[in-house]
This record gives sequence, structure tokens and C-alpha cells, in this order.
Amino acid sequence: MLSENGISASTPETKDFIRWMTTEAWNNYQKDRMDKKIIVKNRIDSHPIVIPNATKGKHYSSPVITLPTEDAFDFSIEGPDELGLIVLHDSDGVFKIAGTPQVTGDFHFTLRYKYHGWLEGEPLLERKIPFAVNPNPRDLWKDIPTPTDIQFFKEDCEAEQIIIKAGPDGSPRKDMVAASKRGRSHAQEGKARDDHFRLFHSDDNDWYIIAVADGAGSARFSRKGSEVACNTVVDFCKTKLADASAFEEKINNYRNANDEETARKILGDAVYSIVGNAAFMAHKAINALSDNVEGTKPKDFATTLLLAICKKLDFGWFVASFWVGDGAMCIYNREKHTARLLGVPDEGEFSGQTRFLTMPEIFRDARSLYQRLRFGIVPDFTALMLMTDGVSDPMFGTEANLNNIDRWDDLWDKLSNGFPEDDIPGVDLSDDNENVKEGLLKWLDFWKPGEHDDRTIAILY
Amino acid sequence: MRRLPVYLLLDTSGSMYGEPIEAVKNGVQVLVSTLRSDPYALETAYLSIITFNSTAQQVTPLTELANFQAPNLEASGCTALGEALSLLATKVDQEVTKTTPEMKGDWKPLVFIMTDGMPTDNIQKGLEEFRKRKFGVVVACAVGKGVDTSVLKQITENVIAIENADSAKIQSFFKWVSASVSAGSMKVEETGKEMGSLSELPPPPPEVNIVV
Repeated sequence: MLSENGISASTPETKDFIRWMTTEAWNNYQKDRMDKKIIVKNRIDSHPIVIPNATKGKHYSSPVITLPTEDAFDFSIEGPDELGLIVLHDSDGVFKIAGTPQVTGDFHFTLRYKYHGWLEGEPLLERKIPFAVNPNPRDLWKDIPTPTDIQFFKEDCEAEQIIIKAGPDGSPRKDMVAASKRGRSHAQEGKARDDHFRLFHSDDNDWYIIAVADGAGSARFSRKGSEVACNTVVDFCKTKLADASAFEEKINNYRNANDEETARKILGDAVYSIVGNAAFMAHKAINALSDNVEGTKPKDFATTLLLAICKKLDFGWFVASFWVGDGAMCIYNREKHTARLLGVPDEGEFSGQTRFLTMPEIFRDARSLYQRLRFGIVPDFTALMLMTDGVSDPMFGTEANLNNIDRWDDLWDKLSNGFPEDDIPGVDLSDDNENVKEGLLKWLDFWKPGEHDDRTIAILY
Repeated sequence: MRRLPVYLLLDTSGSMYGEPIEAVKNGVQVLVSTLRSDPYALETAYLSIITFNSTAQQVTPLTELANFQAPNLEASGCTALGEALSLLATKVDQEVTKTTPEMKGDWKPLVFIMTDGMPTDNIQKGLEEFRKRKFGVVVACAVGKGVDTSVLKQITENVIAIENADSAKIQSFFKWVSASVSAGSMKVEETGKEMGSLSELPPPPPEVNIVV
């Protein structure tokens, strides 16, 4: 080669020249290949690839990921199969990841590829892609039973139904059901349920009495406060209504009155003496309890209270109620598309402060107590519902939505249809269903992120 | 549902280059992994990362923990803390839901600021914007000796310090942030009340000093 170009060189010179030339050329060649490789690697590294995170046990399907085949080829991705996922290749550089991951944690997938100009035996280029499998939030919640040796122990859940068969005239009569369940946040820490309820129906004169209470989360013995509140008001009303003839006469007079205002006042006073006094008795019972339990104040038993008494009369239903605190209480009529709220919830955020039965100002004067009473005559209804905020918050979100009839329809639909996505069946609220309480208790397991309070609902239907 | 927004404002100026920025990246990763296994946080906490160097940028918008993917952070440039505060105010306006009669809004955001140097921009404008917004607990962490904590005190009364930017100290800061977010998520879910002061957060580890 040298002599062809007119260069005369000695043998050692020739050898040295060839060494010099090949080394130089080889280095340039290597540098050129390295540059090419780096350019491709940078392009692939900066190519936007987002593989969204998955959740354990939930079906996962990533968007289609498309890689630039003008830069590289023979793309493969390693890692998904170890998590129980598969890579679906469409064509080279086009794939998606799908399946149901079975492990949780933070992982990296490795994308491997060859750049154009890649030679047999050369290592593949790679890029790490982060990928996380979240635990299913439902698996994270523990269910630690409440220790039975705590003061004022209470069962973690409770349900009751009162099935009332048809009356002497053969017409069906409304049934009652209630269920109460400890919230997930309490279950997580082995803390007791603070909610309570009590139902009563008089077989003698057909009066219904329903009480629901929510012990304040911040009060250490509120679980007892809610229990005492429910028991006291129901027992008091029960006694008062054992002979309800005079009371029912006042209801009749009110219904037929020419002078409605006077009749309403008379009936109102009677309601006050039953429902209002029942609430006051409960307030006093809690005060007495705190006197007997050393080192406690009434506020350690702080609780809300929703109480309703009602009876079907010839001309419709008479309903009277008392309400202090949050939650919801309403007469719902599906056909007529109405929801009559039996009071105004005292909710912290908007009215400054949540009220409790244990607060003296609730009973400071007759007027403030009167404000919490409601009574009236309504035609037939679909359901009378009382619930604590553990149910009303996830269902309504805010106090304002309690006045939105569509939200009550939604609640009723959810009661009827359940939550198919969570395998929670609807509650069969047909007349004389003997399994309704189990259904309602199961229904309370519905899932809503961030809503893990104790849940209690009572329904007259 | 009411979210608990958490904003991390991280200094990615040139002085964080090398081990410190790697420790921060790792810290964010550990923070997210830890919170994902906490049922309260996983359902409630949302996380955003704003970095500041010569400018401020939101590298991760407010994201549900389940969908969060740790961003790549690189250290270079100066320390535009003022701009970061302005950006935080803007993002809070855009991302945090306000309470209306029909919908309960998000909880007040928690903010954790970490910086290893003095701001290189004028922080007054950012500070004004920041002060107009409502936050839950705001904590500023000074890394190393190069920070005049009185500047951070203008942002929040809750100022903490770690001695230097070694990995272990940065890690312990992030672990504490993680514990704080857990405690905050639990508090809002359990009691419906928000955190208002540093004393409600878990006690900082020994490497983290409270600046009084």
C-alpha cells in the first residue's frame, strides 16, 4: 500500500505505520460508535414513558407505550412478569402492560434495546422505568377487636329489627330496622364504637320510638353517653306513651282545628312534655352518671341525639322529633319525591361548633329547646330515616345537600341496590322481611375513601 | 372527599449537587413508599413537589399518593426561594378545593420547605402572596450552616435545622416529614380537625433541631 503511493519505507517503519494507522482509525471508529450510542441512549432516556402505578389485586392495563423505532430496535421490557403482569407486544417498540399484580412495593422495569448499528455480542442498552404497586387500601385497615375489659365496653356492631305483622284489619304495618357498626378508624386501633341506637314499638297502641346517637370522638366515654341518651329517651317516651289517649286527642284536635294556631300551641306543649322532656331527662341522666364516675365531667360523655316518635292515625302519620348535633333525620317519600328534614343539623364547620346533648345551653331556656323540636302530620311515606354523620357525611358531603331531594333519592337507590363494585348487596326493605337487619349491617360496610367514622342508621319503612 | 394536600418545597440549587441531591431523591422515594402503606395517608394525602434553583418549578403537581412517581431532581443554579413561595401560592389557588355549601373542600395544606442556602432573589413578593393563603402547618428546614434562620422565620414560626447535608441527616428529615403527614392524615380522618402547630406533629428525631 505504501509503495503503491510512492512511499518507500523500511519494514519496521511499515509495521509501525500500520500500527499507528489502525490504532488511530480504531479509536475514531470506537468514538464514532460511542457517539452514536450515546445519542440514541439520550433520545430513549428523554423519551416520555409513563407507566402509571398499579394497585394490588386490581386489574391493571397501562396505556400503549410507543418507542422511537427510528433510533433503536428489538425493544424488550423486563420486570412485569415478576409482579404477575404481562407485556403485550404489538410490534417492535409498541407495547402495553396488563394483568393483576399480586405484590406491592416500588419496582423498576428495565427497558432493553439495540441501537441502529449494534453489532452481535455487544451489550444491549437499557433504561430503568419506575413502577409502583400500591397496597389495596382495604387490605391496610386492621380490624382489632375492642378489648372487653375496658370501662363501658360496647360490642363492635349491633343490629335490630322489629317486624310488625299486619293489623287486625289486615293492612300491612311498617317495620323498623337499625344497624350500627364501628368505623374503620376505630377498628384500626382497637377502639370502641361510640354510636348507639334503640328501637321500640308498642304492640298495645302502635307507637313507634326511634333513637340514634353519636358519641363525640373527642370525649373519652362518649360510647356510654350515646347509650345512656338512647335508653333514657326511649324509656321515657315509652312510659309517657303507654297511655297516649290524651295526647292523641290533641293531635286530633290539631288536625280538625278551626283555630290552628291555638291547637298547634296545645299540641306543641304536649310534644314538648314528651319529646323535649325525654331529651332533658337524657341530659340529666348523663350528668348524674358523670357524678358517679370519678374524675369525669358530663362532656366526657358528649353525644348527639336524634329522636323520633310516630304513629299511624286515620288521617296520616303523626311524627314528632328532637335533634341535637350532626347526622340526619328525614321523612322520605319516593313517589312524591320529597324529603322533609326533621330539624337543622348542628354542624361544626358552618355553625361554628358541633352541639351535644351534654351542653347546658341546649336546655337553658324553653325557646332553645323548642327550636330542636319538630312535629307534624304527613301522609304515608316511604321511610323515616335517622342516621349518624358516619352515614350522612359520605352520602351527602355537606349540610346543604341534606336539603337536596336528589341526594335522598341517591341514598335510597344505594340502600336498594347496594354497592355492586364492593360486593355489597342492597337491603331488601320489603314488608315483613325477616333478614333485613343482617342486610343493613352488611350494607354499612360500603366504601368511601376518607370516610371511616362509626356508622348507624335506623329506618322505619 | 376531603384531601390533605402536602407541598414539598425543595432547594435544588448548585450547592445541593452530588450526595445531598441524591439523598433528597431517596428521601422523597422513601417518604412516598412509607405513606403508601399507611391507610389514612394513602386515602387522604396528596403530594406535590416544587423545586427551586435559578427559578421555581412544580415538578410534580398535586397527586394522589397511589399515582405518585418520584421525579428526577438535578441540582444547579441559585436559590429562588421567593419565586418558590409565589409559585406555591398560585398552585394552592389552582389545586386546592375550597369549601362550598355543596361540597366540603380540602383540608388546609401542609408545607415542608427545605433549603441549604440564602435566597438569591427578593422574597418579599413571594412572602406576601404566601401569607394571603391559608395553610395548616408550615415547616421550614435549614440544612447546614449557610442558612440564616431569621429569613425562614419570616415564612413560618416552625423552623427546624439539620447540621449538614449528609445523607443520614437528610433521610431523617424525610422520615419525620413522612411521620408528620401520617399523623396529619389520621387526625383529619379521626377527629375532623386539622393540625395547627408544630407541637401537634410527631417529635423530630435527634438529628433535627427546633430553631427557637
